[in-house]
Amino acid sequence: MGRTENVSEVVTVNMGPQHPSTHGVLRLVVDLDGETIVNVDPDVGFLHRGTEKLAENRTYHQTIPLTDRLDYLSPLSNNLAYCLAVEKFFDLEIPERAEYLRVILAEMSRVASHLVWIATHALDIGAMTVFLYAFREREEILDMFEVATGQRMTSSWIRIGGLRDDMPEDFFVRLADFVSRFDKCVDEYENLLTKNRIWMGRTIGIGHLSAEDTMVYGTSGPLMRGSGVDFDLRRDESYGIYDRFEWEIPVEEAGDTYARYKVRMKEMRESNKILQQALEQIPAEGSVMTDDPRVALPSHEDVYERMEALIRRFYIVSKGFKPPKGETYQGIEAPKGELGFYLVSEGEERPYRMKIRSPSFVNLGVVNKMAKGHMLADIVAIIGTNDVVLGEIDR
Amino acid sequence: MITFEQLTAKLDAQFPDKLNSYSEYKCNFIKVKDTSVYMEVMTALKEEFSFMYMVDVVATHWPKRRDKFEVTTNLFSIANKLRVFVKLADEDNKFPTLTDLWPGANLLEREQYDLVGVIFEGHPDLRRVLLPEFFDGHPLRKDFPLKERTWFNNADEQGIGLKFSR
Repeated sequence: MGRTENVSEVVTVNMGPQHPSTHGVLRLVVDLDGETIVNVDPDVGFLHRGTEKLAENRTYHQTIPLTDRLDYLSPLSNNLAYCLAVEKFFDLEIPERAEYLRVILAEMSRVASHLVWIATHALDIGAMTVFLYAFREREEILDMFEVATGQRMTSSWIRIGGLRDDMPEDFFVRLADFVSRFDKCVDEYENLLTKNRIWMGRTIGIGHLSAEDTMVYGTSGPLMRGSGVDFDLRRDESYGIYDRFEWEIPVEEAGDTYARYKVRMKEMRESNKILQQALEQIPAEGSVMTDDPRVALPSHEDVYERMEALIRRFYIVSKGFKPPKGETYQGIEAPKGELGFYLVSEGEERPYRMKIRSPSFVNLGVVNKMAKGHMLADIVAIIGTNDVVLGEIDR
Repeated sequence: MITFEQLTAKLDAQFPDKLNSYSEYKCNFIKVKDTSVYMEVMTALKEEFSFMYMVDVVATHWPKRRDKFEVTTNLFSIANKLRVFVKLADEDNKFPTLTDLWPGANLLEREQYDLVGVIFEGHPDLRRVLLPEFFDGHPLRKDFPLKERTWFNNADEQGIGLKFSR
């Protein structure tokens, strides 16, 4: 026909929302010139549950189970971020043992989340074996969560002022065993991938982000560290007791998918180091819940013996506690980046406004920039390296 | 490395009587009292004080106040390890966009437009994100009805809903 070489036709292709490599219900509207990506428009919201609106109509305690369902691969990190934000209103002192257990749970969540990431990311690109290896270890972590909290995933174990309850002895035995073996497991994944020619071909140079881009686009976590920005909220805006541990923050300069892969693999090893130190340092016994009467439920013994404790318990359970007026924010280094809760209190039992700063949502905003000029097949690698979880994006 | 006190002292010298800075619950807030200097303050924060990392944009609806809408921008300076929240309140729901300074604000502002109904003027692509295009109203406003939910029921009759072409 009358078509010259310079004329190209842009074709719009729909990808998702039920595509297996989109990790949930993510729809991408991709404009293609031949096989080259011209534009990507992510369409999200299929899982929107209105968590922020629900929180406005619930007491502060009742919101904790909702946070589990944000990033369902690391529910305990979400609990931690929310509870730390509420605790800022009261300036609470958390018991030592609870602080250590929080760190242990958060780091276990990070490892579990990264294991799902490496499993599915490799599976998307075509490496089936890694999936089986990574899920083997993730299963162990979920079993430990079940021993500790009674739930494999949506555990709601971290509460405002501490933890729901102490862990059984079995949990520490299992964890010590796991921690001693885990470094070798990461070696196994790396043996399968790091020098794998297909893996390198599919990831090196794909989805490049410069250091400035990652900052102005707000992408946090491994995306930032994979582009050479030495930033980790655990160190730079330290919360909890992270300043007591010695670990390194992995940083890679290249800014491509392979660099982010290396960052996350190292992060798993560093989390393992933190777990080891936490297991050594944790005080053998002690309370895991603050006794601050403003937020803590009085103990059962107290309730049976003292009228005031009974009233207080009834009041907190049925009506909730009231933080002072004001606004506060707490961000934590969740597995996927900076997870933050912005709370506006009007001095009532319910938050006036809660805003969830979810890392996956902000990281999705950079997909278009990362994918432009690459081939259609690379979009699978780019979604994988972004580590999106749709429960958190849609909220 | 500068502290929040040093930052506010410098900003106050640059924009006298336009800013109200305070800290509460370990968070640092800068309230911009005059809309006309808002963009200048933001540019200064980004260019001079290295607040490169765009963390979040939060819009809040305050129906009982004179300034019914408030936008809080959460910025972090990695060089100074400092987080500030810049606030701007206005009677109507129109605010200047920050997309030109921080491209990451694009998606965050779209979300706030979607849920709170704040219009960011100059935004390149102000569409709904989380809710469908045919959704009526903005659910995070305080006057949003919680019980009368009728808007989804006649989506098919009206020929609206998920379309696979643009």
